Amino acid sequence: MRRRSFIQSIAGLTVVSSVIASCHRQRVIGGSVIGASSHTGHLLRDKRFAAPVSTTEHAVVIVGGGISGLSAARHLHRQGIRDIVILDLEKEMGGNAACGKNDVSAYPWGAHYVPIPNNDLTEYIDFMRECGVITSDAAAALPAYNDYYICFDPEERLYINGQWQEGLIPHFGVPAPEKAQIQQFLDKMQAFRLAKGQDGKDAFAIPLDHSSKDPAFTQLDSLTMKQWLQQQGLTSPYLQWYVNYCTRDDYGTPYDQISAWIGIHYFASRKGKGSNAAHHDVLTWPEGNGWLAAHLKKELQPYFRNEALVARIQQENDTLAIDYFDVKESRLKRIKAQQCILAVPQFVAARILQDEARIQKVHQHIQYAPWMVANITTKELNERTGPPLSWDNVIYDSPSLGYVEATHQEIKQGIHRRNLTYYLPLTNHTPLEERKAALERTHAEWVQLIVADLEKVHSNITDAIEEVNVMIWGHAMAKPVPGMAHGTIRQELAAAVNDRLHFAHTDLAGNSIFEEAFYQGLSAAKKVMTHLSGNI
Amino acid sequence: MSKKENGAQWLLLTAVFVIATCGLIYELVAGTLASYLLGDSITQFSTIIGVYLFSMGIGSFLSKYFNKNLLAWFIRIELLVGMVGGFSSALLFIVFPLAASFRIILYAIVLITGVLVGLEIPLLMRILEKKVAFKELVSRVFTFDYIGALLASLIFPLLLVPHLGLIRTSLFFGILNVGVGWYLAHHFSKEIKQVAMLKTAAITLLLAQLVCFVFSEKIMSYSETMTYDDNVVYSTSTPYQRIVLTKNKHELRLFLNGNLQFSTADEYRYHEALVHPTFSSLDQPEQVLVLGGGDGLAVREILKYPSVKQVTLVDLDPAMTKLFSHQEMLVRLNDSSLLNSKVRVHNADAFTWLRSNKTLFDAIVVDFPDPSNFSIGKLYSTSFYQLLKRALRPDGIAVIQSTSPYVAPKSFWCVDTTLRAVGLHTIAYHNYVPSFGEWGYIMATPEEPHHWFSHLPAPLKFLNPTTLQQMLTFPEDMKAHQLLDINKLNNQALVKYFEEEWGKYLEH
Repeated sequence: MRRRSFIQSIAGLTVVSSVIASCHRQRVIGGSVIGASSHTGHLLRDKRFAAPVSTTEHAVVIVGGGISGLSAARHLHRQGIRDIVILDLEKEMGGNAACGKNDVSAYPWGAHYVPIPNNDLTEYIDFMRECGVITSDAAAALPAYNDYYICFDPEERLYINGQWQEGLIPHFGVPAPEKAQIQQFLDKMQAFRLAKGQDGKDAFAIPLDHSSKDPAFTQLDSLTMKQWLQQQGLTSPYLQWYVNYCTRDDYGTPYDQISAWIGIHYFASRKGKGSNAAHHDVLTWPEGNGWLAAHLKKELQPYFRNEALVARIQQENDTLAIDYFDVKESRLKRIKAQQCILAVPQFVAARILQDEARIQKVHQHIQYAPWMVANITTKELNERTGPPLSWDNVIYDSPSLGYVEATHQEIKQGIHRRNLTYYLPLTNHTPLEERKAALERTHAEWVQLIVADLEKVHSNITDAIEEVNVMIWGHAMAKPVPGMAHGTIRQELAAAVNDRLHFAHTDLAGNSIFEEAFYQGLSAAKKVMTHLSGNI
Repeated sequence: MSKKENGAQWLLLTAVFVIATCGLIYELVAGTLASYLLGDSITQFSTIIGVYLFSMGIGSFLSKYFNKNLLAWFIRIELLVGMVGGFSSALLFIVFPLAASFRIILYAIVLITGVLVGLEIPLLMRILEKKVAFKELVSRVFTFDYIGALLASLIFPLLLVPHLGLIRTSLFFGILNVGVGWYLAHHFSKEIKQVAMLKTAAITLLLAQLVCFVFSEKIMSYSETMTYDDNVVYSTSTPYQRIVLTKNKHELRLFLNGNLQFSTADEYRYHEALVHPTFSSLDQPEQVLVLGGGDGLAVREILKYPSVKQVTLVDLDPAMTKLFSHQEMLVRLNDSSLLNSKVRVHNADAFTWLRSNKTLFDAIVVDFPDPSNFSIGKLYSTSFYQLLKRALRPDGIAVIQSTSPYVAPKSFWCVDTTLRAVGLHTIAYHNYVPSFGEWGYIMATPEEPHHWFSHLPAPLKFLNPTTLQQMLTFPEDMKAHQLLDINKLNNQALVKYFEEEWGKYLEH
């Protein structure tokens, strides 16, 4: 029986060693799953609230402390209005610009950069100057951008065909005919960037509503980006991957679902120019757009009420009764306000207004993209051939969008531990299914998924990871599907109610970017001012 | 067939299995090592596997010359494979620094193991030919051979490399090889002449390999010391860098991350050129800042100016400044400069420190490593030089070590262009430092001083008014001959020039 015992012992050895190996590999990686307060948020849908226990009166209530709400509050404050309350469900204001911090660095939980602003956005540029992003004064011909905030080099790299290449537009190992198509596509985008409609307006502008209404361009809103590429004969798989990457990256929406007009808007609406920066440059900070949110928040602290879930808003003669659930005290409270800005997504606004027609309309027309964002703290990583660690690191054909390295804008030497912010838009199934699956997934399952993806480019990732924290954004942003930009739904939903209740959110802007949120808030605040002036 | 015969047969087949596994493992080790050390894994693996298979052919061919004592030969070969293969990776690590002969040794090892493994199968088949039917024999021997190969190819990447490392993997299989040899000798002791000698050889080998296995870490570090020409007298890894000091009869050298920082034979040429053109052009400099330069050698030169009241030295690595403050040989070299009461040492990041600095300096000496990566490249950017300018008095001067204008003219003049871009006046100069070659420096001032080089201290070993004048002249082969980009945080133009130029230079 020697043979059998020999084979058994070899087999035994292999089993034992593979068990040892797998124990080693599956070491428990610390961290947790953080939802964007989905549990508290769902009270709005599921709970019946009792009568409020207290009532106070304020001139203006802003519901939602994301960028739209903060921008609105900032304008009102600048106009001398002090009787403001900002209500937000989360512990911190900031919405999608949320951020965190550990002993390595600050890091983003959501939006993590803004492009160089278009030069015609006067108020936004003033804000940029105020927070030191622009260092030149208003008289300068071109704004000078703060060198510390323009994304440092090396900015982007793509892992493709077995190695890293510089930049995200595929070129390493891409056949010449496909390269030619990619160039054709980029040329078309450049032409769209410069294009103007019959009405003399830019074909693609920011805010989106400043764009030309020329049907030559707006008709692009009736087809998907994929259909448009097909029409143009742009069939290169490498190009299609790139376009799909971009639309998933900015809107959490695949290119076969997104409006072609919006898809092109992503490439053609950026026209900013500075004395030391151009439209393709981006501004970024370790904590991402949380840095900008912090500047918006600066003078608004006295108005904040966090962990406040607005349950309903009712009209009462010439005031609004706004009931909110104070999560800390677990009690319902009422504010009577003259004016209110609903700076929340429309699916929330409809519930708060308890307006069945609106609930149905939102349900029919707006889909919200769920996202997973993970912050990964690591030690030194093994690297593949090609350019070194960059700000944005993307893996070709991965379900994820890759990761952004939070310490990239640090100036100090000898950084050995890093925070990688990993983005995964959940786009394989319907948003509802994805959302449900995402909330059920355990921390260990998320970690496994992330490690499997990053192992392709960092062979020692399992050993190098110190901690992974996961954030689930159930409703990260409205998907800009065909008809959103140039259909009527946005106008219908954005109309003020009785000159008292105004809406401000990127849902209504048609695309979820910082500038849109900034101007959504600004224009709602301006409307509030016109109605307040008569009363105060 | 008797039970005993049957047992012997299976024992020998087990030996085939072990040999096949070990043989392939040695080739995988050789291929991996060659890829690590020489790069280009496709070429390394294909040539090594090719040579290995070919050598097995040679072994098979040679087997016909073995006619007597087949079993004893089989065991001898088993021991030999274990010895050569087991020590192969340790040996290759050690000989790597002797770059010229490395490939020869590598292929010799592959050839020897190939020949030996190639000999074994035919010998074994002949040993067993009288005991087993030919059909059965061929089937069994090759089955075990190929199963061994499969096992090797699976466990090598999955278990061995990640858990044991290369040196210990080959030693482990050497031990296995030799162990089987010893057991065979023991088992068949009645059938073999001079069995005691074989057993002694096996046990000696086993002990030697066990010792090596335990001390494999030391072999790794020994192989590192071999990459330096001279004796390593001190080495340490800090969170920032690897510091290595080497010494021969004539000189002491400092290496940071393998790059030569200075040799005592000619460091005065570098440090005199770095410090004195600036200081001799200043009228009574008092406040001085040194960025980098944790070896205290620039400070030694600075302290030759009695007007200097305070030298602030900012160096990232406390291990460096500590070493050069306390180690006797090094303190003698820098004239105890870091212990001087005028000197304040801050172990901090220079960029971060300068950003929060409020003091104005008469002179700033910038002695950073060359801009060989994006992290260090930041210390040569417009953003950094704006801070430098802010820290200088209007009549102050900063001087920046700026790599070799001969090897890397674009890099050198890119530093100059970048300094000018923030509104500083510059004067570039260079000198010859035998250990480095032609080396370049750039002085930068907010306002041009009135009396260049008027206060040279005496006596200096290299600098005098005549050599100074020569240093200001650049021949054509040290000029850039093109318009250069300004180095900014968001373009890192300098690192790209530097990689291009030094990369090309080191290819030769």
